[in-house]
Amino acid sequence: MALDRLFNVARKEFSDHITSRRFIIILGLLLVISAISIHEGIEQYNDNLESYTEQLQYMGESDDPYSSWMPSKPSIMYVFMSMMSYMTMLGGILAIAIGFDLVSKEKETRSLKTLLSHPLYRDEIINGKAVGGIGALGFAMVLALAIALAMLLVFSVVPTLDEFAAILIFGAVSLAFLLAYFAVALTMSTVSKESGNALIYTLVIFFAVSSLLPMFGSMAADAFAGDPPEPPDVSVSKEIVRTASSSGYYTSSSSQSVVYGGEEDPAWKEYEEEMKTYVEKRRLISDVSNLLSPQMNYYTVALAVTNPQISAMMSSPYGYGSDQEEPSGLADVLGRVWMNIAALIVFPSVFFAAAYVKFMRMDIR
Amino acid sequence: MIRTENLTKVYNGKAAVDGLDLEVGEGEIFGFLGPNGAGKSTTILMLTGMIEPTGGRCLVDGIEVAKDPLKVKEIIGYLPEDVGFYGNMTGEQNLDYFARFYGMSAGERKKRIAELLEMVHLDGVTQKASEYSRGMKQRLGLAQALINDPVVLFLDEPTANLDPEGVREYRELVEHLAGEGKTVFVSSHILSEVREVCRTVGLLAKGKLVAQGTLEEVARTLAPSDGDVVRIVVETRERLPDIEDPDIISVERNGNRAAVRAKTDIRDRLAASLFEQGVHVREIRVEEPDIEDVFMTAYRR
Repeated sequence: MALDRLFNVARKEFSDHITSRRFIIILGLLLVISAISIHEGIEQYNDNLESYTEQLQYMGESDDPYSSWMPSKPSIMYVFMSMMSYMTMLGGILAIAIGFDLVSKEKETRSLKTLLSHPLYRDEIINGKAVGGIGALGFAMVLALAIALAMLLVFSVVPTLDEFAAILIFGAVSLAFLLAYFAVALTMSTVSKESGNALIYTLVIFFAVSSLLPMFGSMAADAFAGDPPEPPDVSVSKEIVRTASSSGYYTSSSSQSVVYGGEEDPAWKEYEEEMKTYVEKRRLISDVSNLLSPQMNYYTVALAVTNPQISAMMSSPYGYGSDQEEPSGLADVLGRVWMNIAALIVFPSVFFAAAYVKFMRMDIR
Repeated sequence: MIRTENLTKVYNGKAAVDGLDLEVGEGEIFGFLGPNGAGKSTTILMLTGMIEPTGGRCLVDGIEVAKDPLKVKEIIGYLPEDVGFYGNMTGEQNLDYFARFYGMSAGERKKRIAELLEMVHLDGVTQKASEYSRGMKQRLGLAQALINDPVVLFLDEPTANLDPEGVREYRELVEHLAGEGKTVFVSSHILSEVREVCRTVGLLAKGKLVAQGTLEEVARTLAPSDGDVVRIVVETRERLPDIEDPDIISVERNGNRAAVRAKTDIRDRLAASLFEQGVHVREIRVEEPDIEDVFMTAYRR
């Protein structure tokens, strides 16, 4: 495989994408919505920062028993959290829009036969198409991040080096998510004879893995984990202390302790242990099924990058804030969601491989 | 220049091309005839390195196509049947894209593309390829097939979408290319088209080569067998007298015309005999089988 031939195909594909009306319209929409939500995010960030400054000021002035408690400084990564929701929808549509007719259109217009009559191998064509598409999506992502960064600077919000690294990782994760649906669309385009069918098949997969799969995961979790344990009967007066909130995307639970004059009720402690096991079991089943959904993986990884505290609390509702230490850096945060990162890489790889194999064996009569 | 040896392609257990042995010499304009579905396009796809044969092999300029398809593609040009282009690009941009695969410099590409567009009368056309008529696409197809100045040119149903003027220009172009020493392989199911430009032909039916040679040779090979009988048509000004010759097998008379079946060509003796009897001969000729009829019969077999 000669790289110059592959890049010739990729260059043409990239140019086709970024000049196509379809791409420009969807990208424009994505950037406008991105700019609006970044603006809202910046306003929220400024409010949080103001509140943080006030808290610091209050702490300095009062003899409050909580004086040792330090409020956390708001991160500018909260600004990017708002990008997650529309990236999964509009970004997904953009990825599908550029991929669903990449091969099928060439079959329909018979340009593939003309192209193949010139000196290049089939793998150079399919790889070139993939590289061109990845380039176009990368271009869209860079544009979205550049606008976000520009807006931050316009509003005098300067990211630190760590935050800048987190922004880049957020961009890379978002791109990986887009590639997942681009790969699905490319495969369907290779499998289908007509672009219309390719689009329908891609949308079916899109909705299946984004909506149906998490639902099935939740149903499977219900089925396999069984009924939740019953709380013990407590008749005497008690104090209930809530300690955690939720786990996973669909699985949520709460934990509470019953305390009698400083001593914990053993029955309640046993119930709490059973509940913990139950929630962990549910979460495990749900997580395994969610690994197949690029949306769920994207949410998990992007949340870990943009809001590590919430991410840590969601991943370990019973451990967070007690025996588990708060993650110290970006590497730790990413280490906790390595399976989701791996899934975000494996998912498009499988579809790219399927597209490759199918294209190499395609009947071009 | 082109050779196939027992070339076979099987699709779903059915042979589209079945043990094809073919030879086309350098500088020849070869007509590859056959009805639709005979296996002509499949043969061309194997010869152009776009699909691999199930059995046998094919060589272009001594290069085995299946072993080195890229090397073959560098020296050939191919105009596919119903040629397609990128609709979002102009003719010039389409040609430039294809030309890049031959490692041509920007200057070379520009010069070559300008020449070709002028040759196919598409110079100055700024429309996108999606707005081209079928005839314009066919012309552009011819230009893309010549982008690398090929040694061998494969044309699959080249006149399918051309108007009469386009057909005339195509014929002139093919003659011109053959004059430059290029080998032209024309696949068509239209006999009249092939007989206009091709010096030799091969007839394919159901994936098998039925005959190969000049049109006359092929027609003679395919003509219904009548042993060694020679059919002579005679027409005279006066009423035709009785014709006698030891080689005559039968005579079908019709006024001053007759169709004579003889063991040998007895035209000279017949003419002399009629002259002696004072009969004026208007026509005396050996009846050749009608090529169209012969090919139609072969197509239907």
